[in-house]
Amino acid sequence: MFIRINAIALNTFREAIRHRILYLLLVFAVAMISFAQILSLLTVGSEEKIIKDFGLASIDVFGVLTAVFIGIGLVSREIERRTVYTLLAKPIHRFEFVLGKYTGLALTLLVNTCVMTAWFFLILLIKGMFDLRLVVAVLLLFFQFLLITALAVLFSCLSTPILASVMTLALYVIGHLLWSLDLLAKRLPTETGKVLCRVLYYLLPNLGNFDIKGEIVHGLAIAPGRILWATVYLLVYGCAILWTACAVFERKELQ
Amino acid sequence: MAASFVLRRRRQIMALGVIACLLGAIFVQGRIEGLKRGAAAHPLLYLPSGKYLKVMSLGFDGLLADLLYLWSIQYYGNYDIKDRYTYLERIYDQVITELDPHYLDPYLVGALIMTAEARNPEMALRLLDKAVRANPDQWLPAFEAGFLCYNDLHDYTRAASYFEMALRVPGVHPLVRRFYAEMYNRAGDKRTSLKEWLEIYQTSDDPYAHGIAWNHVHDLKVDVDLADLTGAVGRFRDREKRAPRRLQELLTSGLLPALPRDPEDRDYLYDSQTGVVRYGGGLVLGR
Repeated sequence: MFIRINAIALNTFREAIRHRILYLLLVFAVAMISFAQILSLLTVGSEEKIIKDFGLASIDVFGVLTAVFIGIGLVSREIERRTVYTLLAKPIHRFEFVLGKYTGLALTLLVNTCVMTAWFFLILLIKGMFDLRLVVAVLLLFFQFLLITALAVLFSCLSTPILASVMTLALYVIGHLLWSLDLLAKRLPTETGKVLCRVLYYLLPNLGNFDIKGEIVHGLAIAPGRILWATVYLLVYGCAILWTACAVFERKELQ
Repeated sequence: MAASFVLRRRRQIMALGVIACLLGAIFVQGRIEGLKRGAAAHPLLYLPSGKYLKVMSLGFDGLLADLLYLWSIQYYGNYDIKDRYTYLERIYDQVITELDPHYLDPYLVGALIMTAEARNPEMALRLLDKAVRANPDQWLPAFEAGFLCYNDLHDYTRAASYFEMALRVPGVHPLVRRFYAEMYNRAGDKRTSLKEWLEIYQTSDDPYAHGIAWNHVHDLKVDVDLADLTGAVGRFRDREKRAPRRLQELLTSGLLPALPRDPEDRDYLYDSQTGVVRYGGGLVLGR
């Protein structure tokens, strides 16, 4: 099973790195990280904060865009181009196909994140602003990309690329606004409303769990176990989404 | 040959067309800028509060705070905008620091603009109070608030309370302690000031700070001793209806438990005719 998943993953990776959009996003990310240096010239103090904020935000934005724009076409494009039939005619389970696709994109994202991070850290090292805790911030951002990739794969199995990208981006937005649902639950007068908010709060992907940019940049303490629990959350929630994606693809009628 | 000439000519015309269009765009942009300057509504009227921007920022609140801070520096540095202080408190208090409450520079720069440019130190103190509440592990906001009270408001008691607040934060700069000690002197409480300066003198490892502390201790000791001696002479005069012949009489009459000696370990000078006590040396700081 692992050999088959591995083979699909490597092929997906090879296909993804040939994608022009990947290089476009990568170039933009590198340009944005570099641009922070110019922007920091306009400030009074806080040069370090601006460079770090810009670097982390660029990695975040372009990582998410890569996950979405490459992830949404992973399955649907194979169906569209009918290459999926050739693959599934071989002794491959459908869930192996989905997991292979996911792993391939995860590998692409890993390489992508490493390139952006390397450039970002190089600038910080030259400026003498490097902080080892930034590695943790980037690691959690990568975890966020993995969760968004899982969502993109799920929606790619469910619908067309355009609809999948809209739904994935919508969940990205919702995932960063979940704290407001918690706030709303506390303020709602009715018990039903409170319960509904609570259910949605725990059911929807909470991407705020992977956001420690502010704490890292300000040098604030991170609650003990925060990174561990974020990792566990990724594993649990990511598994649930991928499981659903596999189940959807198993039932999908391929004509 | 003729075809290539036509092709070249066509390219030249196209290039000229592009240049003309770009120049036209620059001209139109200039006209639009002119219209903007004459617009009635204040451009900052539409800036949402930090609470809403935080929701909209999707986790990029720190970056948004950076961008708004950068913009604010350029905006408040532009002296052509006559009414630029209208929304000063809103920009720094309700937008930038609301987006990123741990971002210290907007508090400090905002307070500086409020004090030095807008001449509103109370507004600056409100902003710095917010900084103190949001960053209890940072001594700089409380120090800045104290310095503002000292330098601009000349409210030394209030300044001392801010410096005391800063002193409670671990890792505070030793300078704050010196300001704190000096505020009591400025407020007229020389005895407390002497006590604080003496403690700095006895505990400081830094030779520079040690020297500064000694100068203050020296002059304050003279002030406090002269005040004690003059007070005792006055009480003696009230009781005995004459000035004491020698300062030792203040001891025998129980008005002083001991006669203070000056910082150079000499007796203070006393004129029994006038009842005036003097210091024989010169003050270091000369205040």
